Amino acid sequence: MPATRDHPQPALRCRDISVNFGDVTALSEVSADFAPGMIHAVVGQNGAGKTTFARVAAGLIRPDAGEVIVAGNAVRTGNVNDVRQAGVELVHQSFALPPSFTVAEAMEFGASGSGFLYSRRKLEQRWQAHLESLDVKVDDRARVRDLPVEIQQSVEIARALVADAKILILDEPTAVLSPSGIANLFERIEKLKQRGVTIILILHKIREVLSVADTVTVLRGGMRVEGPIDCAGINAGQLAELIIGSAAPREINADDRVALTGAGTVAHAESHSADTTAIPMLEMQSVSTHRDAEGPALEDVSLVIRPHEIVGVAGVEGNGQRSLVRALSALSDLAGGTISFEGTDVTRKPLSGRRAAGLRVIPFERNVEGLSLSSALWENWSVRELLQKSLLALIKPAELRKRCAQALTSWSVVYNDVSQPAGALSGGNAQKVILAREMDDDARLILAAQPTRGLDIGATTFVWQSLRSARERGCGILLISSDLDEIFDICDRVIVVLSGRIVGDFSAPYDIAEVGAAMTGAVR
Amino acid sequence: MRDRIVPVLRGLIFIVIGLVLCGVIFTIAGYSAPLMFQSIAEGAFLRPRAFEHALRWGLPLFITAVGVGISFRAGYFNIGAQGQFYVGAIFAAFAAEWLNGAPAVLVIPACFAAGMLGGALWAFWPGLLRLKSGTDEVITTLMGNFLAGLLLIYVTSGPLKDPSGSGQQASSRPLDAAYRISDSYGLSPTIVAIALCVGTAMWILVNRTAFGVLAGLAGRNARMIEWQGAQLYRLGLSSFLISGALAGLAGTLEFMGPNGRLASGFLPTHGFTAILIALVANLSVVGTAFVSLFFGGLASAALFMPIMAGLPAAAIDIVNAAIALFITAKSNAIDRLFGSRGRK
Repeated sequence: MPATRDHPQPALRCRDISVNFGDVTALSEVSADFAPGMIHAVVGQNGAGKTTFARVAAGLIRPDAGEVIVAGNAVRTGNVNDVRQAGVELVHQSFALPPSFTVAEAMEFGASGSGFLYSRRKLEQRWQAHLESLDVKVDDRARVRDLPVEIQQSVEIARALVADAKILILDEPTAVLSPSGIANLFERIEKLKQRGVTIILILHKIREVLSVADTVTVLRGGMRVEGPIDCAGINAGQLAELIIGSAAPREINADDRVALTGAGTVAHAESHSADTTAIPMLEMQSVSTHRDAEGPALEDVSLVIRPHEIVGVAGVEGNGQRSLVRALSALSDLAGGTISFEGTDVTRKPLSGRRAAGLRVIPFERNVEGLSLSSALWENWSVRELLQKSLLALIKPAELRKRCAQALTSWSVVYNDVSQPAGALSGGNAQKVILAREMDDDARLILAAQPTRGLDIGATTFVWQSLRSARERGCGILLISSDLDEIFDICDRVIVVLSGRIVGDFSAPYDIAEVGAAMTGAVR
Repeated sequence: MRDRIVPVLRGLIFIVIGLVLCGVIFTIAGYSAPLMFQSIAEGAFLRPRAFEHALRWGLPLFITAVGVGISFRAGYFNIGAQGQFYVGAIFAAFAAEWLNGAPAVLVIPACFAAGMLGGALWAFWPGLLRLKSGTDEVITTLMGNFLAGLLLIYVTSGPLKDPSGSGQQASSRPLDAAYRISDSYGLSPTIVAIALCVGTAMWILVNRTAFGVLAGLAGRNARMIEWQGAQLYRLGLSSFLISGALAGLAGTLEFMGPNGRLASGFLPTHGFTAILIALVANLSVVGTAFVSLFFGGLASAALFMPIMAGLPAAAIDIVNAAIALFITAKSNAIDRLFGSRGRK
């Protein structure tokens, strides 16, 4: 294996790591040496094994084969305490701080978990200093749940550094951040590097890799295809090639390629202009909602979506995207304003009435809100239709099964039998079942909430193509995504939400800096 | 096919494990386990007319158990079948009392209507509390059982008290023979016909209507079906009402058939056995029919055991409890045993 630098001893060395989950191979004989004191990026598409790799390195998963060597000493794999003792800390993708704890409590119990009795004041004194030394500006009496994501992440990083970590692994730390948040994170990481910490970043976007990392390792399909190699010696195009691979779906156009890997920024959506004289598919006028457990209140939101138009919603997660979709789906009560579909007021109509008028929803949480995992595929598929009937309407299950099979086949879902539970499908196939249900010929207005989250490249481009062809048919589409590249690539217009308000409305060509500034409320 | 056989085998395994456990318990308690099993086998299945005895106990259990299955399918753990069974019987008894003297063709249907209404009512308020304010239905229906038991004591020693009663057990006046739907032996064409109608109607409801599929989905993932625009309120409340009405119907049946009067504390485990049946049958209607027959057999064996094995009749409750104990293991251990697959 070609060593990247002439260091005698890598900070972290992984040898021939293989992990299987049931029949699925997550990692297959992955080896990599990470030199100390540098920033290493590990990249790959969804499902490439990045997170599994991070979790093996952090001792959370015991690999079926292979060893993890920290600073020359083999650690017991799959033993998180041993690995932490050796100085390896992981910052999770979805943060693991208990939401109801104060920052000081989270630091204390996240760090050691020792002892029962503590005085609040002592805790606070202890941790405020630590936070300040890392330049995290937060009141340590604040509850974790009240903090913005960016600060939560900083606290989580500070928590990981309590025990004098020598190797810090961050799993997709940029996924939840705004562009400026990402810039701040990278600055913070640079400072840690100067303090001698070895950093391994699990990343998704080539742009980010090239701006922060010293070396890059590419995983694909559970195998290491390259690396760690020096970032200076590779360009975005080559890296994109490594990530996607030659066996990837053929018909990925150049812009999609860029959007998939974050190799650059897609400035232009495909030239496509909606007919501004047509009756709007959706018209929201000064809609407000109440704040609830699921997100901030919408405040005075007005939005028009026309036929043949995809409108993207950009914003840091938790700024009202959920509230917006729920208000449009009649799942929350309006405090004011009106909603109309194709010129008809539906403000007072329940979701079933709105669905009858052509509303379709691809919900945020595929496995909870989109599908019933323990129910049969045909039940999941036919539920929309059944709800349009009266409860006592007689049905013919055999016929429903047959039609379901036809629909699933035409959406190229890979499955065995329509009676199998939806939970047996992979993420991409599960999403296709939802598409098959929600993107039928009668669909008029489609709300697509994070439709590609967690999907691999093939499934992601499939979803994009489906949304585009729905647009061709004349549908209006609202796309909520936390991936700006995705939004820029397929949306005709982009709105930005911040704290339940629409604070920006952009059309192509998009400028990531401008949109990013709107996301954080920076005045430009 | 495999999908259908595995749950049945699974149910059988509970029963076998439960019986083995009982054997151990009774051996420790100083009884003869082989004699116990023999008495169960003979009492339930082998003695002359054993099938008819099993039917006599099994049919009312079937009616209640099918109803329990409906609410379980929809995701509501209505464990108030016992209370709904009692309130159904009480309503029917009041109807019979008030209409006493009217022609049987009028009184009998009126009693059934009243019984089903009573049962449904006793499921309505827990259902309403659950769906309107999220009150846990396990707690409310359980409390409902106690309330109904006390109500039964009050009714049989108050408004409906039989003045000529011996005083040993409070009970209502015997139902006029013209209104009885069976003799005290407890099996009649009317009862069989009612059970068949209920079974058919519920099979259609579960397997051939939109309600069946939607309630099943709601039971497994209410949030998903909410995002589809379902009115959980309607689905849930109708499930509660159906299960209550059927328990009430079973109560009416016992009152107007074999019992012929309302006695305080009669059949105190009926509703709980029905829950057990629904769970062993994996909530399927056809499965419930077979399992009900089995438990009906056990119930008739209960009367046989003291004679043969010198065991108290309540020993059968231990058999039921032992089976119930293993039902809770259903989702984990047994599934693994069968190697059932599925992510998470």
